[in-house]
Amino acid sequence: MSAKSKAPKSPLMRESIGDMLFPYLMIVPAFLLFMVFTIYPFAFGFYVSFHKWDGLTAMKWLGLRNYINVVTDPEFWAAMKHTVIYALCVTIVKNIIAVILALFLARDHLPGRTLFRTATYLPVTLSYVVIGVLWKWIFNPTFGLLNPFMRAIGLGNYIVGWLSDERIALYSVIFVDIWKWIGFHMVMYLAGLTSISKDYYEAAAIDGASGWQRFRHITVPQLNSTIFTNILMSMSGAFTANYAIVNMMTGGGPNGSTEVAATLIVKTGLKYINLGKANAMTFVLFLFTFAMGMFQLKTISHDENYE
Amino acid sequence: MVESKKFEVGSLVICYIIMAIVLVLTVYPLLWMIFSSCKTVNEFYSNSWLPPVQWYFGNFITAWTRAKMGVRYLNSLLITGTYLLINIPVSMCASYSFSRLQFKGRKKLYTAMLSGILIPTGVLTLPIYSVMVNFRLINNRIGLAFVYAGMSVAFSTFIMHTFFVSLPKGLEEAATIDGCSRFGAFARVIVPLTKPGIMILLIYNGISNWGEYHLASLVLTTNAKQTVPVGMALFQDNQAIEYTVLFAALTLATVPLVVLYVFCQKAFITGMTAGAVKG
Repeated sequence: MSAKSKAPKSPLMRESIGDMLFPYLMIVPAFLLFMVFTIYPFAFGFYVSFHKWDGLTAMKWLGLRNYINVVTDPEFWAAMKHTVIYALCVTIVKNIIAVILALFLARDHLPGRTLFRTATYLPVTLSYVVIGVLWKWIFNPTFGLLNPFMRAIGLGNYIVGWLSDERIALYSVIFVDIWKWIGFHMVMYLAGLTSISKDYYEAAAIDGASGWQRFRHITVPQLNSTIFTNILMSMSGAFTANYAIVNMMTGGGPNGSTEVAATLIVKTGLKYINLGKANAMTFVLFLFTFAMGMFQLKTISHDENYE
Repeated sequence: MVESKKFEVGSLVICYIIMAIVLVLTVYPLLWMIFSSCKTVNEFYSNSWLPPVQWYFGNFITAWTRAKMGVRYLNSLLITGTYLLINIPVSMCASYSFSRLQFKGRKKLYTAMLSGILIPTGVLTLPIYSVMVNFRLINNRIGLAFVYAGMSVAFSTFIMHTFFVSLPKGLEEAATIDGCSRFGAFARVIVPLTKPGIMILLIYNGISNWGEYHLASLVLTTNAKQTVPVGMALFQDNQAIEYTVLFAALTLATVPLVVLYVFCQKAFITGMTAGAVKG
């Protein structure tokens, strides 16, 4: 390395043009990628959303007509409703179950915990496609695992069409999403819980605090930032990251009851070959996620100030 | 004292009961998949719960050829490999510059880039598809790898930030005095110190990219170019296949990741939780 650069030792030499440009040169590749594959598509999609376009022939200006079509489309609002239900259920249930599990497992001596942690974390590594197909077969009324199991434990009367009943199917898909991530959030909460100093609990025990009081006044405040990150993590993407799993398990059916925004957008764009309207839907969906994103960015920059 | 001991044992028992239930819920479906893939069709119907009485591996051969797994594995390797080779070095450089160097416009440029995290990938998918249609990039694997790299560069830059910031100040100066160029100081001194961060990017980005389906299913339209998840989705749509073969294909798609996970599970868990807690 010494042969390549003859050590610019004097401060005067160090301020060469190359050195001045160095910080910029380092960010140029990332910035180019970012501009070309994030900002440009975003702008292009926005542009397309004001046009009629099939992807092949020339675009035709439509003004706001795509947007009017979208916001007056009951199918779109049904999909948005499913999307919001999906995002809320997934976020809330994942976190509640994970906290409860972590509270049970966060104790000093629990032989077998590492093995347990390793095993429950396994579904996190699998793709939504594999998980979706697998669970579709578990829910299958003829060959699946679930129905015989329910009969075996005496719950046979509660068997429903897990993926064929319009009222149930969306929640079956939500269940699988929760199943995939539960281990991940549990591990995060465990890490948060085990980092709380034992002194607090000892002091509280001396003061005669009850179990609930200790949970309410020590665990929750100490776990605050962990809870916060977990909720943000499960929420970001819950609005839009469900395309694969819905597509695998139900394809949006039965009768559109599991159609979410992501699947409807693809259907509009590729099946009905209406890229203008599909992009318009995308930007209405974006408005929904934007508010949440702003919230996230605020916390990010807050952390930065903290450092 | 006796009372609290009793309580201790009781709560331990509850702990293990809960652990057992959760363990069965998470692991048994995966075991069921593997068991089913090693059964003959007859046994799948007669013995659907337990491990096969007679292990039968013919399903894997059928699945491998009929699901064209070989080609799809190569495509997935090509795309994920190219993606990581672009994404990681590029975002490392940018993150280093934003975190440790002083220059005009630093804060503004960093904020501009972080704003990219505001656009969820699910929202970006259709606009990106539209762009790729426009530029005739449909079915182009390397093009897709570049797209992936661009889509996640903001996130990766952000994740690496904490690792660069936490290193002591003055490391670069020491290195330049020892004769390193500024880039040399970064590449030879700083980068090796951020190995945990690189691990996180490798694991987190690698896994999520390997399983990516949304965009890949739109862009990769022919068999010869499709990745494992896209191929798997098409394969399960095929009405003519036997369930045992389908499960064999699922197992084939899953096993490499599971093996990787079992061997590096410590890096996986600490990597992903560290990244998450910091992120």
